[in-house]
Amino acid sequence: MSSRALATPSGRTLVRLRYAAPKIFATFLALLLAAVWIGPLALMVMTSIKPNKEFLNGPFALPIAPNFDAYVKVWQGLHFGVLMQNSLLYAVLGSALAVGLALVPAFALSRFEPPGKRYIFALLLTGLMLPQQTVLIPLYDILRWLHLFDTRIGLIIVHGVYGMPSQILILRGFMTTIPRDIEKAAQIEGATDFQIFTKVILPLAVPGIVVGYTLNFIAIWKEFVFALVFLNSESIFPVTVGMLKLNSDRYISAFNLPSAGLVISQIPIVILFIFAYRWISSGNFVGSVKG
Amino acid sequence: MANVSLIDIEKRFGAHVVIPRLDLEIADGSFVVLVGPSGCGKTTTLNMIAGLEAISAGQLLIGGRDVTDLPPKARDIAMVFQSYALFPHMTVFENIAFGMRIRRQAKSEIDTQVRSVADRLRIDSLLDRLPKALSGGQRQRVALARALVRRPGVFLMDEPLSNLDAKLRIEARSFLTKMHQEIGVTTVYVTHDQSEAMTMGDTVVVMKDGLIQQAASPLEVYNKPANTFVAGFIGSPAMNFLELAIAGSKLIDPENGFAIPLPDRLRGALTAYPKAKVVLGLRPEALRPVPRNVEPRDAPLLSIDVLQHLGHETLLDASSGPHRIVARVSASDDSRIGEKRPFLFDAEHMHLFDSETGASLAAA
Repeated sequence: MSSRALATPSGRTLVRLRYAAPKIFATFLALLLAAVWIGPLALMVMTSIKPNKEFLNGPFALPIAPNFDAYVKVWQGLHFGVLMQNSLLYAVLGSALAVGLALVPAFALSRFEPPGKRYIFALLLTGLMLPQQTVLIPLYDILRWLHLFDTRIGLIIVHGVYGMPSQILILRGFMTTIPRDIEKAAQIEGATDFQIFTKVILPLAVPGIVVGYTLNFIAIWKEFVFALVFLNSESIFPVTVGMLKLNSDRYISAFNLPSAGLVISQIPIVILFIFAYRWISSGNFVGSVKG
Repeated sequence: MANVSLIDIEKRFGAHVVIPRLDLEIADGSFVVLVGPSGCGKTTTLNMIAGLEAISAGQLLIGGRDVTDLPPKARDIAMVFQSYALFPHMTVFENIAFGMRIRRQAKSEIDTQVRSVADRLRIDSLLDRLPKALSGGQRQRVALARALVRRPGVFLMDEPLSNLDAKLRIEARSFLTKMHQEIGVTTVYVTHDQSEAMTMGDTVVVMKDGLIQQAASPLEVYNKPANTFVAGFIGSPAMNFLELAIAGSKLIDPENGFAIPLPDRLRGALTAYPKAKVVLGLRPEALRPVPRNVEPRDAPLLSIDVLQHLGHETLLDASSGPHRIVARVSASDDSRIGEKRPFLFDAEHMHLFDSETGASLAAA
């Protein structure tokens, strides 16, 4: 384009458009992606507050007479409070166990060079690659042998151990980024390895711990197969297994009930994310090293 | 306070020898600066004194006590890191008090000592802040306070000023020197900056490839360098080196018009020297163009390549054939680029070095 053409108003508009085009495209793409994520969620919330008949008439239509009847029915009919309590218990304690088991190995793998470190690391990561189905039968046998089958503690231990390898991976990666000089400074100041771990590394690893804990919490909250296989008693079912009831003949045509159940079950995850985000983005190392 | 003795110290990383053999005696209360280029082993040496690196062979004594295999906490040392290494989750107070709390000292004692050292370093108003809310200079003072508060026998500093800007660095340099004069704790200071080494240390230890090239006072290192490495490393701009042939009492390069008479004190050094060539070393201030109103006689003619005006003085880059020199002259010098001028070589400040080993043959 010649400089004279650029000087005209239409020329300037074209140039502006050329510079703005990538931004417009990126914004459009972001909105599209947001719609892909938010669309089903919005549909779920809408369905949960519509009477079932209204849903059958127009699944995508806005609710005409919104109400919370489905929530009440699900909460009372499925003893949803108990299911939520169980799920919370498994997720809170299972994640704590996974993170707790992973902390020391992650620290060791991030700082020391034990002989065969590569193999130890590879062995730990094997746990990540094993599909759940492959460990079902051995775990079933072990739980029966330990008299932990159909117990809350049994399922918590399974979740903790199964989540440990991924926690090691996350925490090791995080701990590797903690500047070595900080640790050396603590050493010079007279701290033992244990004191360095508890007073320096652990507080600095909090954002990593929160990230790992949150991811593990979500994984356990969504988990279905272990709970289905290792639990028999309805009173200790988590939400995922408890909601199976909604697939029975009695509720088969009621779309608003499972939607309401799903909405309720997402609330703890949302709360956890709001809490965790503050930590994840805290930038804890600022000011520790360099000017 | 304590003296530090490094006896036959060796450091290996696997099969790779980083420090082949190191002997150094650091007197009680002295300020010793280890200086050298990157990879010369100065930080490794400091880390070995600190106990952060294991000593492969040899013996380390602090205050006459063998600490070779003792952990850092048992060595009565404190250290300031290049990166400051402050604990980011702790306030300034907690950072300074960390070591004392680890040692389970009484709360009141910790409080008194932390406030006293903070007051001395003018950071008493920052005690409640986190490191991220401090400037580079303030962080450096906190790191210093953390080291000072325990009143160690030996102070170790690993390039503590290298992250500060030029102005702050000069301020911090005199601050540290003054502080050392006040408290008199034995200090081992690592830097790659030769001007820091010259201005701060009682003793400058110049290192290269894990070996001590020279350990002496700053002036001795400057005026009587042990070899071409020391001569070239200490001083800015670096010493000029000219490889010339020996012809009786003169150093010559006929092709480029060099015939430099040697002073009497240097002739003796050459009597037992068997080689045909020698390296002549001259500091930039020992070279200057012959004034225009003076007869140049045998002065070598050099072409002026670059003029660097520094305000209070000018640096002249000049050359003749393969020989290149930098001369420090007064700001009023009227040399012009491209012009050829005869240069005076100050006989009083000539140094001679072995043309193969670089070792000093004699010094001014």
